[in-house]
Amino acid sequence: MTQVYLPRTLTELWTYLDGEPEALIYTGGTDLLVKMPAENANTAPALICLERLGELRCIRETADSILIGSTTTHAELLRHPLILAQLPVLAQALQTLGSPLIRNMGTIGGNICTASPAGDTLPPLYILEAEVELHSRKAVRILPIREFISGPGKTQLQKGEILSGVAVKKPADYNIHHFEKVGQRKSMACAVASMAALLRLSPSGLIEAARLALGSVGPTVVTATAIDESLIGKKLSLTSLAATAERIRQLVAPIDDVRASADYRRTVSGNLLLRLLDARTQ
Amino acid sequence: MNAYIPEIGKPVPRADAVAKATGAEKYAVDHYGDNIVWAGVRRAGVAHGRIRHLDTSVASLLPGVIAVLTGRDVPGTNRQGIIHKDQPVLADEKVRHCGDAVALVVAEDRATLQKALSLIRVEIDPLPGVFTVDDALRPDAPLVHEDHPQGNVLLKATIHSGDGQVALEGCDIILEETFHVPVQSHAFIETENGVAWQERGGKVALVVSTQAPFRDKWEISHALGLPLDRLHIIGPYLGGAFGGKDGATVQCLLVLAALHTGGRRVKMWWNREESFIAGYKRHAVRMHYHLGARTDGTLQALHCRLYYDTGAYAHLGGEVMALGMEHAGGPYRIPHTLIEGWCVYTNNPIAGAMRGFGVAQVSFAFEGMMDLLAVKLGMDPLELRLKNALLRGDRNASGVTLTQSTGIADCLTAVQHHSLWHERKAWKKEAPPFHKRGVGIAAVFNAMGYGRGLPDSALAKVELTPEGRIRVYSGVSDMGQGNTTAFVQIAGQILCQDHTAIELIQPDTERTLPSGSASAGRTTYTYGNALIKACEELRRRLTGRAALMLLSDTLDDLELLPGRVKNLATGREIPLTALAAMMSPEDRVCISQFLMPVVRDKLDTGKEFVIGFPHLLFSYAAHLVCIEVDELTGVIDIKAYLAATEAGRVLNPQAFEQQVQGAIAQGIGYALSEEVLLQEGRIVNPDFATYIIPGALDIPEIVSLAVETYEPSGPYGMKGVGEVGMNGPLPSIAGALADASGIHMTRSPLTAERVLAALQNQQEHP
Amino acid sequence: MTIHFILNGEKTTLNVTPDRRAVDVLREDCGRTGTKEGCGAGECGACTILVDGESRLSCLMLAAQLEGRKITTIEGMAVRDSLHPLQNAFIRHGAVQCGFCTPGMILAATSLMNHNPHPTRADIRAGLSGNLCRCTGYQKIVDAVEAAVRLEEEKS
Repeated sequence: MTQVYLPRTLTELWTYLDGEPEALIYTGGTDLLVKMPAENANTAPALICLERLGELRCIRETADSILIGSTTTHAELLRHPLILAQLPVLAQALQTLGSPLIRNMGTIGGNICTASPAGDTLPPLYILEAEVELHSRKAVRILPIREFISGPGKTQLQKGEILSGVAVKKPADYNIHHFEKVGQRKSMACAVASMAALLRLSPSGLIEAARLALGSVGPTVVTATAIDESLIGKKLSLTSLAATAERIRQLVAPIDDVRASADYRRTVSGNLLLRLLDARTQ
Repeated sequence: MNAYIPEIGKPVPRADAVAKATGAEKYAVDHYGDNIVWAGVRRAGVAHGRIRHLDTSVASLLPGVIAVLTGRDVPGTNRQGIIHKDQPVLADEKVRHCGDAVALVVAEDRATLQKALSLIRVEIDPLPGVFTVDDALRPDAPLVHEDHPQGNVLLKATIHSGDGQVALEGCDIILEETFHVPVQSHAFIETENGVAWQERGGKVALVVSTQAPFRDKWEISHALGLPLDRLHIIGPYLGGAFGGKDGATVQCLLVLAALHTGGRRVKMWWNREESFIAGYKRHAVRMHYHLGARTDGTLQALHCRLYYDTGAYAHLGGEVMALGMEHAGGPYRIPHTLIEGWCVYTNNPIAGAMRGFGVAQVSFAFEGMMDLLAVKLGMDPLELRLKNALLRGDRNASGVTLTQSTGIADCLTAVQHHSLWHERKAWKKEAPPFHKRGVGIAAVFNAMGYGRGLPDSALAKVELTPEGRIRVYSGVSDMGQGNTTAFVQIAGQILCQDHTAIELIQPDTERTLPSGSASAGRTTYTYGNALIKACEELRRRLTGRAALMLLSDTLDDLELLPGRVKNLATGREIPLTALAAMMSPEDRVCISQFLMPVVRDKLDTGKEFVIGFPHLLFSYAAHLVCIEVDELTGVIDIKAYLAATEAGRVLNPQAFEQQVQGAIAQGIGYALSEEVLLQEGRIVNPDFATYIIPGALDIPEIVSLAVETYEPSGPYGMKGVGEVGMNGPLPSIAGALADASGIHMTRSPLTAERVLAALQNQQEHP
Repeated sequence: MTIHFILNGEKTTLNVTPDRRAVDVLREDCGRTGTKEGCGAGECGACTILVDGESRLSCLMLAAQLEGRKITTIEGMAVRDSLHPLQNAFIRHGAVQCGFCTPGMILAATSLMNHNPHPTRADIRAGLSGNLCRCTGYQKIVDAVEAAVRLEEEKS
């Protein structure tokens, strides 16, 4: 039998963690509990479920940022006017994440800590330059998400530390927010390839700023300043996008798995860029 | 809901819907019981090998373990199987696929069970495996069953009509193509499970999720050496089956376990992964086609060679192939045919029955050939099909004269007149950027009933209960297809009782009578026919006995009405409760048998089929699909779907649509995403995260048109409608893709990856 | 451990091991077998329940997480003999075939309607996109939810 703790405050959490330093931590359980055999929940020394940790379940706005507590569920984010108005690229990604049931349970903190190359919130968070807040009994530290996630399923989270929140700078000057995921069906689909994009188009239609991130085509989310910069000053045209698409295909490092081949992922990761021709400015 | 008489032809709500929608219905899996124990299986995990060492001692000593059993502990033949008894309950010396059961554990709880299973030491010396049909057919191939006289060929068979293959030579046009379809999983939501216990006196009762409770009894008896009268099988409503619960899954294992629990109930419930690994599958098939036609589009000759991969055990492999071969020519007049089939053992998972039994596979091929021919001739694909569509009185591709209702031409005409067909050109022009649109059609059919060689029989039993209610004892399972509701309608129609006064008993070998399996689109047809006779007899009895009570000297004055019989001449009535009290128990019960008619042509072909060939009755459908192909991703999005279906008369429009829509959804999964992926016989996608069945967003709105005919042999003119819808989506979607892009895919499913590769290839090599 | 929760309106106290799955506790200890299990991995939705009114997968919740919650299973949807409008609609519109997904579908639809009282057919499909059905092709399920929505709209 494994003990399950449900801390209501951070103070309680630290106490439980002191007693069970090897405990596994989860909130929605949509990742951790799937991996555990049904018959005997697990062999972990203890489980700590953060679903009742109210301090971490919040969405707040500051002058230049939006702060999201790590145990905020995907569904809560999708219903929140701040997210819908300020972070449409994240909202679009959340809409494709799992299913309504998964979104009712899974949290943004969980999606980040799982650090799957296919994590749906990750490409948007990368281009939004999100920073994660890591909390332990003694300290708080802040890391850019791209530094926090170090590999597939790997993060910089230390023993005794939890991911407490995400801070996202308001991307005020982008007028195109775009996310697309290719999966094997329209819901409950693990991304075979995905792309998040932020673009600023001038009134004359020139790309003034661009940020792209690609999911499921490398060990972690793929971004590249050179790719972003290659779009700057160009018109949003098939020719300019096709050239950058080819660079993307050369940049990404996908793998073959049960869902798709590396070749397919490579081709599609470039192709997804062409969809920006249809993207509407906001 | 107010009481109503559930009449034939009305959209009567399901008899089982209230219990199911309130959570009250007890499926097999909902049976527990006090002091229950759990059984589970250790599986081979190796596709082909000899068991060198099997050590259960550590597991046996684990506290909470009640029994650990191996092949040596199986009394009887230790062989199960529907026709061919070739599958061990527990492996004896050899394993033939990864899912073979090697040891059976019974434990106090699930945690102990899992622990004990992991403590069993199994050492298997791997043998070279055969994982493709070609490997299996090599002269030096390792044998899956050393004792099978034809080596790895379970069955080789031929259907021949007219001048056969020779006639191809005289054709204006000969087209050749090879098609491949993969293994499909039934993916019912209630996985294989049951509960068994030994009663005082030694009888073993088994509540099990099964399509064939009476056959289960024989199978268990044979495998475990138990006399039939020691077995009692109870088959509640199933949480889906689609063919996958036709044949033993947990049955023999559970009864064996129950012999070791001292009367305690023992439950086995496969989890999803085990269901994938050990459960039955749809056959993967490779199909080589040669089709010959005249320049005006008249089909002349067909030669095909079909290779069915049946996996490690026979199950119904030969019969599945037989039905596929019988349908290999499509619902078309082809005077000269040679259809050859090989059903081959491999070390892959076991293939068996699944909705569209062998036919879903060949539908892809024969409709693919029709699309190719239409392109070659520059003909409208619908006109081409209509021109060759079978009519009543024609001979089909097996040489059988169609003496019964034959509605494929009417189905095609219904599609032709639909706006989705005649407005297709305008619709296609409106494709959004980076997308192509296409419209495809398919003409499909599906035989019903067992076919010659196996009596397709049902025994209906209906009772007037002491409470004055009507109780129908169904001997044929309801896995969700809704035959129960049809039985309520038949009883309601004939006996004129409110739906609230009609009870249905689900199959139970001690209460109901053998009526065959829930399969082959036969449940309502065969049992329904028997039930009509039984209800008519009961009606005669009720009025006849009421005559005595109502002092009526003629039955003509008497009318059976809800809850009573009335003498119309005198106005006097007798409640059914009073009538029941007067009647003896045996007088209150009527039993009747129906035997399905069979083909009368004397065919000089298909001699290799002991059972299951040929068939008398077919249901027909024409499907139309509108798709959008994303040129950037290869994703096919289905925008609209139309099905015109002929299955005789419609007894219940709602139930008819349910079957059509549900089958199409399964067919769409088969067309676009469903594929059991195998590596050396091991399933690499044994879960719903990687074996992709469609969700609510993946299925379009489906328009269902009933093209009614009257089938004289059917109950109220009906034929089975459960299977035919499964056969249309793959060919129609492939046709729509060809229409959109010019690409004729010959390998399914049409995944985004395959489609994008084909689009790219087309661009590079126009 | 001892847990206290409200199950279908009734105060419930159970002695359970905390790491058992909620679906097992509901089915085996509480006898609420209307809560089904189809995959044990959050992929099929058959085990959907309402936790404080929100749809959740009970195969991905542990017994300890039931503590203090208001749990609704399919058995708690009808008020005495009066079926929930969604149950009536599922029955009337032919949304039930094998019925194994039905409890989860009805509870997922309840949650959908709580958040969006006026869903379109597309919204309904999206709202039920975590619940797999292998029998119906979904159309009659969408019909049923749509009918229940219309009925509620007429009432208000």
